[in-house]
Amino acid sequence: MSETAVLLEARELTREFRLGGRAVRALRGVTVAVRKGEYVAITGPSGSGKSTLLHILGGLDAPDSGSVALEGVPLEQLGDSALTRIRLLRMGFVFQRFHLLPVLTALENVELPMAEAGIGRRERGSRARELLDYVGLSERAGHRATELSGGEMQRVAVARALANRPALLFADEPTGELDLTTGRQVLDLFRRLNQDGMTIVVVTHDEHLAAEASRTIHLLDGRVNGSSPGALAP
Amino acid sequence: MILLAAKNLARHRVRNTLAGLGIAVAAALLLDMVMLAGGMERSFERMLLSRGFQIRLAPKGTLPFDTEATFPGGAALSGTLRADPRISAAGAVLGGALFTRVGDSLLPLAGLGVEPEGQGLYELERGADLVPGDTTGIVIGASVAARTGWKIGDTVRLSGGTDPQVARVRERRVMVRGVVHWLYESRGERTVGVTLPLIRALTGRSGDRVAMIMVKVARDADVEPVAADIRRLEPGVEVNSVATLIARFRTRLTYFRQLSLILGTISLFVGVLLVSTLLTITVNERLGEIATLRAIGVSRAGIVRRVLAEGALLSLAGNGLGLVLGLITARYLDGILTTFPGLPAAISFFVPERGAVLRAALALLAAGTLAGAWPAWRAARAPIAATLREEAT
Repeated sequence: MSETAVLLEARELTREFRLGGRAVRALRGVTVAVRKGEYVAITGPSGSGKSTLLHILGGLDAPDSGSVALEGVPLEQLGDSALTRIRLLRMGFVFQRFHLLPVLTALENVELPMAEAGIGRRERGSRARELLDYVGLSERAGHRATELSGGEMQRVAVARALANRPALLFADEPTGELDLTTGRQVLDLFRRLNQDGMTIVVVTHDEHLAAEASRTIHLLDGRVNGSSPGALAP
Repeated sequence: MILLAAKNLARHRVRNTLAGLGIAVAAALLLDMVMLAGGMERSFERMLLSRGFQIRLAPKGTLPFDTEATFPGGAALSGTLRADPRISAAGAVLGGALFTRVGDSLLPLAGLGVEPEGQGLYELERGADLVPGDTTGIVIGASVAARTGWKIGDTVRLSGGTDPQVARVRERRVMVRGVVHWLYESRGERTVGVTLPLIRALTGRSGDRVAMIMVKVARDADVEPVAADIRRLEPGVEVNSVATLIARFRTRLTYFRQLSLILGTISLFVGVLLVSTLLTITVNERLGEIATLRAIGVSRAGIVRRVLAEGALLSLAGNGLGLVLGLITARYLDGILTTFPGLPAAISFFVPERGAVLRAALALLAAGTLAGAWPAWRAARAPIAATLREEAT
């Protein structure tokens, strides 16, 4: 691992769910650290705790025990408003099912987090266009989300995640709903983003996507079962 | 945000249009109930004050024209009242059944004997008014003119009875002086006006008995003290100011108002339920979308605002339509209700008063917006990770 500063650090995370009256231990003491500029893939079989880990790292869920710190700020000590603000300004999220607002155009979807952050109409329009251009969708800016293909929707979701210039991009199975060709486009986009300095944490089943990462964390039964440098490892 | 709310509502056009129509019906019912609750009272007051006469004197224990009772010394009393500097006008009224012949048939007329120097029963529309001491003149309403074909200047026969013997004795030839608008005439009623001495002669009544005296208080005098003084002066007569009459009328309408209030509240509740149900369904359908919004940094307050905006917009659209629907139904119902026999045509059941309508509209809008509170709270409190996990499976 390089000497670059740690951006995100999680220690001894545990998380238990109750499913049908039965306790399921999704995480059993997971400790991970993500350095600035890293591209980390979290892999593992279904039910190994990958998405749970990503949700906790991204402040979408709280662990039963353990701690998460982003840029040295412990997330568990923050109230909902502060945590929401951190997600808005310091984190970006991409989900398997894109979750764009179907009534808005691609451009308006990208503008949404900026509007929430209080950025003026002109500035956010200009930045949203830049981002759509970055993901190769400038011609589709005026199309509603429902008029886009799966790959295009996911690229708009990536542009939306980058809207407020986050420090860290989380992606949960970003190619899960895409075919090989469009999945490839998303992989290329992630690689380009990382090359441009974006720190990325991605949960995936996709071997190609995992292979792109600079480091892979393998989970099994809620525990880290190994960590290996990926194809882009420095 | 309003635009986004409108776009979200447009996602389910048929469902939201149907809900909007439901809200419109509830709003129309509420509006009608609001208009009905105070409408008759306001309409009654407006009618009583249409010529500015604020006090009515009637036989003891009765309301004006509630019975056929009369009280003695009426014309003398009205003369005394006119001499009071606090009173600008006063006039006695006596009613009686009159008849005339139209072709071969005998036409019954409602006759009103007035004192022209202080009458508050009609407004002259065309021709000349009666003058004090006129025992050969008559004023007629449009309904009489239409039924008889009488015109201003025509000389016509009037009698005070149907019995041939009586009719011959009491029959008078009178000239139509003018056409008037009767302020208290009911639909289908045919009213003619003559002076007090002439109605007495026509109906064969002797003595100075009258059914009512109407009193107009001078601008610089207070009504209630004048009414109190008349009561002291004439303890055998029922003296009511319009305010007193309205209060008595209000008491009679208590059940009516309570019914309106209950039905209005129910309709408001139905509107709230409709908005709340629709927004709950909408929020449940979009929990994944809402969780994503929360994940990308939209605050709980932001989610609440978005859901409330949808509720407000839905209410606004439904209420706008409901306002139009309410006014149309009120007009239609008023048309039916005001044909009740004996009810003055000037009385309306549904009176759209700007303040009341505005209050009802605001109540509906506030209720519609608040109806979104529960779904909005649910949406804002939905656990982000668990919702996203459910969405993914």
